[in-house]
Amino acid sequence: MPVDSFKYLPRSIAAYYQTLRVDRVDPIPWTALSKPLRECRFGLVTTAGIYDREREPPFDAEREKRQPIWGDPTYRRIRRDVMQSQIAASHLHINTRDILADVNIVLPVRRFVALEEQGVIGSLASVNYSFMGYQPNTNEWQERYAPEVAALMKDEAIDAVLLTPA
Amino acid sequence: MLAQTFEQAGFSTVMVTMMPFWAEKMGTPRTLGVEVPFGHPLGMPGDSEMQMMIIRAALSLLQDASGPGAARDVEVEWPRPSDEARKDWQPLEASPIIKMMREQAQARAEDRRRET
Repeated sequence: MPVDSFKYLPRSIAAYYQTLRVDRVDPIPWTALSKPLRECRFGLVTTAGIYDREREPPFDAEREKRQPIWGDPTYRRIRRDVMQSQIAASHLHINTRDILADVNIVLPVRRFVALEEQGVIGSLASVNYSFMGYQPNTNEWQERYAPEVAALMKDEAIDAVLLTPA
Repeated sequence: MLAQTFEQAGFSTVMVTMMPFWAEKMGTPRTLGVEVPFGHPLGMPGDSEMQMMIIRAALSLLQDASGPGAARDVEVEWPRPSDEARKDWQPLEASPIIKMMREQAQARAEDRRRET
């Protein structure tokens, strides 16, 4: 059975998504995997709106409340050794309870450390990234923040990225 | 969109998403579809076996995909009843945009009532 993208959506939102038109990027950008997984350095990127409460501020949910057609386009850094108790979330479109119980359901730092130890992957980056996925307008992501994160990942010699929209 | 930017910057990306329909529309380089509630792309909290199963499927896709638009699904049995899960992932308080849309719909309905 193929995945039903609308199974968990309220009917009105599902209908909205089904009719929404998007400009598909053509051709789809492509970077072939250049080495075996066991040699790849991995970066993790989620759009779950999580942040490390001991190091960085929350996403700006207050402005979004005043201005509902705006979502904070900035990003946060999450270290690979982050403790679960340091994880907080500012995302007004999902219930973050389960993420606050186990960050690995959106940013699997523990699982990737285990894969590194098992030799399945080369390594996990020291820093991983979190965005807040509600972006009615992705211009700032496109023009500023995604390229910034790409440059930071280049500095860390990342080869491959696992993306987890929430 | 992030996947495309990163891919252009020279990273090989794989996206795990509960909306493969949307990923396909956008043109995502590699997509692993999972039928899970929003906020849970890699499964249930505390269930490292389920999380690892999804992650390993994503890594296999990353390894096997031969060209852009590669997509695969992974079967996940969600342990909560779907009616419950459909409510459970949603925020306790409606998001600002949903509140705004509801208010606008109410205002329109009131306008119509006044007109009739």
